[in-house]
Amino acid sequence: MNKRVLAIALLAFLGMIDTFYITIMTRQHVTVQCHVTEGCNDVLTSKYSKLAGIPISLFGLAFYLAAFSCAVAELTGAAKLTRLLFWPALGAFLVSVSLTSIQAFVLEKYCEYCLASALLSTSIFALCSFTRGDQA
Amino acid sequence: MSKVTKTLVIIVVAIAVAGGAGLFLATRSSTPATSEAAVVPTGGGHFLGPENAPVTLMEFGDYQCPSCGAYFPVVNEVMKRYPTQVRLEFHHYPLVNLHPSAMAAALAAEAAADQNKFWEMHDLIFENQATWSKLQNAEAEFVTYAGRLGLDINKFMQSMRSPDVQQRVLADVTRARDAKLNAVPTFFINGKQIVTPNGVDEFSSIIQSNLPK
Repeated sequence: MNKRVLAIALLAFLGMIDTFYITIMTRQHVTVQCHVTEGCNDVLTSKYSKLAGIPISLFGLAFYLAAFSCAVAELTGAAKLTRLLFWPALGAFLVSVSLTSIQAFVLEKYCEYCLASALLSTSIFALCSFTRGDQA
Repeated sequence: MSKVTKTLVIIVVAIAVAGGAGLFLATRSSTPATSEAAVVPTGGGHFLGPENAPVTLMEFGDYQCPSCGAYFPVVNEVMKRYPTQVRLEFHHYPLVNLHPSAMAAALAAEAAADQNKFWEMHDLIFENQATWSKLQNAEAEFVTYAGRLGLDINKFMQSMRSPDVQQRVLADVTRARDAKLNAVPTFFINGKQIVTPNGVDEFSSIIQSNLPK
């Protein structure tokens, strides 16, 4: 079993839980309490939390679902799809860098759930880069 | 079972488990509970409801915050359910770095208070949040609301710029900061900060538990 692909599947699964949680909380219009950082609610209700009226967490959920599906397909031997993940993972990584910068320099508040997602997408990008390197 | 079927089954199960876990965590973190603020805010505020009501529901709100806008009808419904048992106390906490027109909205509500129309302006501002939040100059919109409420426009505009009105808003901001509030809306019931209830029914159950037996 390819450990890198298994790691991508596990990280993407965690990302799905994280983004499901953020999406549900923001849809319910309830205050999102932080446990580690301060300002989860401010970050998640800021104008940067949506793109064209769609919550960014939904885009994240779509990315993690795609990454998980590709990894599982490869693990079961159905299809070798993780090599297709490099560009979406690069996109997710760049979006994570932008959103983390906005939290740090514009809002000056941090949302731990967003930081967790940034860490997960960065890890997936790193693993996809290794996978790509192996195949080159 | 073919490899493709196996893949699809795993994906569907994973979506269900991840969705369930997300829902479980969301339900758990929005379960009502009480917690103590660093300092319980006192003084200032605008009141609605009987002075001798057994429950005082204090809200720190920001007129431009979407969550506060979403809670506006919830609080109204609570006040309708408990007309004699709950007294609403509203304080301003405009998060100006996130919401550029929140301070102007708070000033407009305070300026209307100078003509005894705080709650009427408060309602109009929340009801039209989606409209004025998009405007570059929301203040002009608030002036039209003042006209709609039959306020003296000149007096209203003077009030919006008066140091006294600004001081009242800033005093509320200081109260919020002293209490180390990090989110809006934040609610207190009889001086105890509560985790924001998820809807009218959860609000009601907390209020019920605070009513005299």
